[in-house]
Amino acid sequence: MTVFDLLIKYIKEGRIRLDKSRFTERATYHDPCNYGRRAQKRFGHGYFEEPRWILDQCIENWVDLYPDKLDQICCGGGGGALTTGYNDERIFYARKKFEQIKATGATMIVVPCHSCHGQLNNVKGEHDMEDLEVKYLWELVADCLILH
Amino acid sequence: MTSPSEIIDMDRLDHTRCRTWPFLQDFCVTCGLCSSSCPASGVDDSDPRMLVRMASLGLVEDLVDARWPWICTMCGKCENVCPMQIEIPDLVRSIRSKRDREKVPGILHKGLVAALETGNNLRLPKEDFMFIIEDVAEEVAEEPDFEGFQAPIDKEGANILTTIHNKLVNTHTEDLKHWWKIFHAAGEDWTVISENWEGTSWGYFTGDDDAMKVMTGRIVEQMERLEVKTLLWPE
Repeated sequence: MTVFDLLIKYIKEGRIRLDKSRFTERATYHDPCNYGRRAQKRFGHGYFEEPRWILDQCIENWVDLYPDKLDQICCGGGGGALTTGYNDERIFYARKKFEQIKATGATMIVVPCHSCHGQLNNVKGEHDMEDLEVKYLWELVADCLILH
Repeated sequence: MTSPSEIIDMDRLDHTRCRTWPFLQDFCVTCGLCSSSCPASGVDDSDPRMLVRMASLGLVEDLVDARWPWICTMCGKCENVCPMQIEIPDLVRSIRSKRDREKVPGILHKGLVAALETGNNLRLPKEDFMFIIEDVAEEVAEEPDFEGFQAPIDKEGANILTTIHNKLVNTHTEDLKHWWKIFHAAGEDWTVISENWEGTSWGYFTGDDDAMKVMTGRIVEQMERLEVKTLLWPE
C-alpha cells in the first residue's frame, strides 16, 4: 500500500481529522520521480493527484511548481546520488529545482520521499534558500492532526 | 586537418555489441531532446544523448568506466520527452550493473553488502534497534494526547507492517514520530519488525536485481511469519 492511499483512506473514513488553519505561509509540492513519472511508465499510474488532494486537506495556501507532474524536474537526490560522494555535481544538479521553488515564493516545500527530503535540506543553503522548510507529506498530516 | 578515420579506432565501434540490451537505443534519432531536458547535461561534458549514442556504438567499457551514469539520477525526464521511446533510465541502470562491485562509487555497494549480511545498511544490532524504537516511543508517549503510546514490534496479526528507512534510526529519529502519531490517531493496528526492517533497497541504485529480490523476499517472509496482510513501504 502506498503512503498516499493509506493517508487518503484515513481521511476519507474519518479516522483522522485535520486542522487546515495551522499553516498559512505559502507552500509548494515536489513530485518525486519514482512516485510520479517513473511509476506512470512502469506501472501505468503516477501518483500525481493523490498527494495534491492530501495537501488540500492540510493547507489552503499552496501552489504547484512549474513544470510539474510528468514534466517535473528532479531534485538531484535520486538514484542513490546522496551516497555516491559526487556532492558538487549533486549541488549543481539541484539548481533548476531551486529556480522553480523560488519562482513560487513558497517558504515550505512538501515532499513524500526520503531522498528528495534529504537532498533539498542538504543543498538549500547552496542555493540561497537556507530558511526553506522541507517537510514530509506525512509530517504535514501529523502536524495538522486534531487530537481531541 | 586530420581525418577522423585516421585517429578513431574503428574496430572499437561495433554497434552489435549492445544489440541485446532491450532499451531501443539503436532507434535514437539524435534529436537531443533528452539532453535539453536533463539537469545533469554538461557534467563531465556528457549528457543522455551521448550516452545513448555510445551504447548504440558498442562503447561498453567507456560507459561502464564513466562517472556520468552515477551522476544521472535516473529521473526519467529524458525518457519522457524521447520521441523514440528509448528507455534511457533503464539503460543507465544496466550500465551501472556492469561496474565492478568494488568500484561502485561512495557507500552504495558497502551499504548494500551490510544490508545483505546483517539485515540493514547500518549493521545496527537488533538490541540497539529495539532500544531506539522503544526510546522514541517513550518520547511520543510523553507528549499531550499520546499518553500510553507504544510502538509495537513483531506484533502477530497486525493490520499493517511498516519498513523503516535506516536514517530514521540513525541521525533522524525525530522523523519516526510522524507516521506513529498518524497511526495512533487513526487507531491503526500496526507493527515494525525487529530484524530485516530496512526500507531502502540500494540494489535499485546499483543495478543489482538479485540483491533487490533478497531484500524484498525478507520482508515478505516477515509478513508471512507474522500473518500481516498489508505492507507500508514508505521508502
